Amino acid sequence: MARANRLCAAAAAAVLALSGCAVIPVGGPFPIEEAGSGDSVTVPFQRLVAVEPQRGWSAQQVVEGLQAAMAAYADDPGILPKYLTEEARRVWKADGPVTVIDNGFRFDDVVENKEKKETIVTILGTKIAQINEDDTYVPVDPADDNKVSRAITLVKDRNGDYRVNLLPQGLLLTDADVRRAYRPTNLYYLNGTAAGTHEPDRLVADRVRLRIKATESFAETVVERVIQGPTSALQGAVGNEFPAGARVLSIRSSEDRVIINLAGPFRPSDTFREGLEAQLRASLSVNGLANGRSLEIQVEGEPFFSTGPLIVPANLPERWLAVEDRQVFYTSKGAVHLLGNDGEGRPLAGPAGQPGETYSGFAVSKDRDRVAARSTEGGIWVTRHAADGRWQQSIPGEKLTDPSWHRDGSLWTYDQQSGSVLRSYPSVSRGPEHVAAPALQGLDVTSLRMSRDGVRVAVLVGKKQVQVGALAGGGAGAMLSNFQTLISAEGEDEIRDIAWSDGEHLLVLVRTKAGQVVKEINVGDGETLQLPTTSKPLEHLAAQGDVILATTEDGNEILEYGRDKQTWAPKPATAVEKPIFALG
Amino acid sequence: MPPTTTRRTRRRTLRQILGGVRRRARRAAGRARRIWRRSLQLQVVTSTLVISVIVVVVLGTFLSDQINNSVIERRQQSAASDASADRLRIADALSRHEDDQSKPAEAGKTVPPDPLDEVMDAIIGSGGDGSKKRYEVLILNVAEPGQSRASGNVTPADVPPALRQKLQRQVEKFIDTPQRFTDRIQFAGETQPRQTLVIGAVISAYGGYEVYHFFPFTDEEQMLSNVRLAIVVVGFGLVLLLAAIAYLVTRQVVSPVRLARQAAERLAAGKLDERLKVRGEDDLARLATSFNEMAANLALKIHQLEELSQVQRQFVSDVSHELRTPLTTVRMAADLLYDAREDFEPMASRSAELMQAQLERFESMLADLLEISRYDAGAATLDLDSVDLRDVVLRAIADSEALAERHSTRFELRLPNEPCMAEIDNRRVERILRNLLFNAIEHGEGRDIVVTVGADRDAVAVAVRDHGIGLKGGEDTLVFDRFWRADPSRARTIGGTGLGLAISREDATLHGGWLQAWGQPGEGSQFRLTLPRRAGIDLKGSPLPLVPPEIEMRRTWRGQMTPVLLPATGDGGAHGES
Repeated sequence: MARANRLCAAAAAAVLALSGCAVIPVGGPFPIEEAGSGDSVTVPFQRLVAVEPQRGWSAQQVVEGLQAAMAAYADDPGILPKYLTEEARRVWKADGPVTVIDNGFRFDDVVENKEKKETIVTILGTKIAQINEDDTYVPVDPADDNKVSRAITLVKDRNGDYRVNLLPQGLLLTDADVRRAYRPTNLYYLNGTAAGTHEPDRLVADRVRLRIKATESFAETVVERVIQGPTSALQGAVGNEFPAGARVLSIRSSEDRVIINLAGPFRPSDTFREGLEAQLRASLSVNGLANGRSLEIQVEGEPFFSTGPLIVPANLPERWLAVEDRQVFYTSKGAVHLLGNDGEGRPLAGPAGQPGETYSGFAVSKDRDRVAARSTEGGIWVTRHAADGRWQQSIPGEKLTDPSWHRDGSLWTYDQQSGSVLRSYPSVSRGPEHVAAPALQGLDVTSLRMSRDGVRVAVLVGKKQVQVGALAGGGAGAMLSNFQTLISAEGEDEIRDIAWSDGEHLLVLVRTKAGQVVKEINVGDGETLQLPTTSKPLEHLAAQGDVILATTEDGNEILEYGRDKQTWAPKPATAVEKPIFALG
Repeated sequence: MPPTTTRRTRRRTLRQILGGVRRRARRAAGRARRIWRRSLQLQVVTSTLVISVIVVVVLGTFLSDQINNSVIERRQQSAASDASADRLRIADALSRHEDDQSKPAEAGKTVPPDPLDEVMDAIIGSGGDGSKKRYEVLILNVAEPGQSRASGNVTPADVPPALRQKLQRQVEKFIDTPQRFTDRIQFAGETQPRQTLVIGAVISAYGGYEVYHFFPFTDEEQMLSNVRLAIVVVGFGLVLLLAAIAYLVTRQVVSPVRLARQAAERLAAGKLDERLKVRGEDDLARLATSFNEMAANLALKIHQLEELSQVQRQFVSDVSHELRTPLTTVRMAADLLYDAREDFEPMASRSAELMQAQLERFESMLADLLEISRYDAGAATLDLDSVDLRDVVLRAIADSEALAERHSTRFELRLPNEPCMAEIDNRRVERILRNLLFNAIEHGEGRDIVVTVGADRDAVAVAVRDHGIGLKGGEDTLVFDRFWRADPSRARTIGGTGLGLAISREDATLHGGWLQAWGQPGEGSQFRLTLPRRAGIDLKGSPLPLVPPEIEMRRTWRGQMTPVLLPATGDGGAHGES
């Protein structure tokens, strides 16, 4: 027995010794610390490498090389001039908007002018977009003539090799070049300034295409661009907590923190700290940078505040971007209803919930405390969402568009008769007042919708065109400006309704000859997602974040678009005229 | 010429400084050597340190080399396999590219993306579906426009020229073996170069595409430098640990040995009750036991010998005392006989004279015996008085003049002009001098005796030089032994007892002084008495040389002329001589 015990003890000792000697110890489970996935401030990308023109290249090859040199111009500006003659070098400038043509471009027949000793190679393609100097990506309206023909004149140099002597100004890139070197990027600004009447509480996305630079991390490029300020579409309409003249010194990433070292005239005491944090956090996180890591902001290597560092948490507080109110309302027989969780609707308390035919085009304010509607008696009427509420006229007028609430409590409409934009403040019984909108002068505006962040405004012109602008300035100096055409209906197509889903996406319902189309358009770069259609003809749209609702023209039912299944599914409510979300 | 003087002064100063430094260094080295020679512990610890440093350096270098090789080899292999897989994909894409180009473009049809772009997206993960790679890729085709791609921040200029040339040479020979090259490359936008492995190959089938992969070795470099640091730190720690172990171990062994040495030294100094502590039963404990036994036996023997010696001394003393009483009676009777000798027969008269003479000698011998037994019993004391040594010398010479005349010997006195004051026992010093003078007269064979007196700050000295037969080698110490005689066959002419020099030496020692002898056969001899000026002061040297100056000069002269002929004997100094 004792012998057996001794053997057991010896065996146990041997096992322990061997396990101790194992090269990689076995065992577990043990808790492990979450580690970041390496470098979080760069994105993988590929570049086209330009090569110098080679001896013996044909004229077309030289033009192909020139085009590659244009694609690589931002990385290596030294190659392109080698394709040019002395004269062309003097004349040609790379500045200005970048023209983007499709990948299917081709070369027209080479024309040789023996008299002038010139060879002309023409690039034939389709312009699909243009990247402006403020980095906005402006897609070409398909309705326009977008054929591009660029004639490039070449001459032979003293070695007998072709060199470009004459070419159009600016860079010409293909779609593939843009995809390779540019990234669609959202820059975030505030829906107001801290010094204004309302403290900013939402972020506004500004969509740009940023070129990835080989010599700096993409995070540096993004932050530098944020500091630079918004694009022309949002100029004057948004607030930027970064002072003019600020710049990025470096951005370093570690396991759990990204250190952003800035320089410039920062005044920590006057900075709206939450706004600055939200701008940085969103501009990096939404673009897939510095995810899961907190940000430490330094100014010239020193802590941001004299009392300590400025650390931005890894997660953006929800209030800046998330959906605020998911409650679905709908109108039925002239009364506004709340859609319950069980699918049953109940009318709103107060006069808005009373059926009737006097009011239409209902809109619910930000905190659901007021309902506005257009009356058959003329003008926009507002009632409180309460049992003792009563309809009061807020904006008089005969031909007004449906009202739209701004998040600051103002009510907006377009007076088609006078061709002006009107605004009133029902909560303080102020207004109506005219708001300058020079771009809308003389247009047949049939719908005006303020976005939920209160910065952008979408107008439907006739039934053919949607334009998006921004509300610049505050108080009496407010003005709707920066209007750009977002979409135009082709041929006999009609745009039936528009609705904001969030600050940067607008839903457009287009009735075509073949049926109907619902488009979700990014107002920043016109990127369009066409939703699958349904056989039921749709009449009205409403959206809030990911939720898209529509009512049918004949069946009086609410359809909800399921993004996962990509189908329209009916909701229980019946006899529905129009779905409504607060604001939008 | 003042400048020259200044320069010379400076040069001398510099030389002096250098000399000082050299002297100090030599002294420090000597001190270190002495400490090294004397400390067994230091020797063991130093040897351990040196050996362990060598072992650790060799092992560390080997280990670091092994780890370096395996890590870099593994990385190179994985890099080569990644590069090879990518090249296959690129070759595949290029074949599709060729196909696409061979087909005519159809108007209005969507153009498929460039396969080169697609494959680059797939390789570097920029298409969104791939994972981000740790390396960069460069596809280079200088012959075709728009057919070169790069990921990240690599540019064609980053390719090491040697690698590119090698690939181009291979292409000429229709070889497509991939090549690697490790170099420090500074990429665009970076502040310092990075260790990078570049793998290059040519895909020649589709128009000479060069494909380069750039694998950063930063992590490996960091890891290897950490490993090297760890090896250095561990090695350093190991060396220190080994030194500490050696120190502790040797301390365990050396401490008892050191205690034993100290005990032996004390034992040698006469502390016979010195013993070692015995702890445990190991070898050192046994050494301590044996040492203690040896010390005990030694003490016992010495004690026995001391007792025996004591008995002998007591016997001599007792005998001397006991002999005095009958001798006094015999002496009185003899004096009577001597005084009445003229009335006796000539024979009887002669006998009375002989008896008187022998009785006097007997008496003085008895007195000497009593004196020496007082020394043995430690009962001798000094009666100190400050006197001028010259007076003492003159008195002793006056006492010896009668004897000197009988031997036709003359004294040559060499006295200093200044008084040579010293605290001495007048009687004893006079006795010493008398003994020395009698001795010189007896062995001086009638030649002159030179008496020299010297003094310095601390000591006074008298040297008595005779030119008699001299002393043989070793006799300069024997002369002070009791009853010693240079030539036993030689009769004592002046009635010495054979204890004179022994008593003189005891007298000198009692003063804290020295009595030394020098002699050479045929050269005569010299006795030098050195006494401290004040009682209780330790002598450091003597104002007079032990070897007579003329002998020393002759020896030096011989040494310079014919060093081979140097006499084998030394100066015979029993004590240290300044």
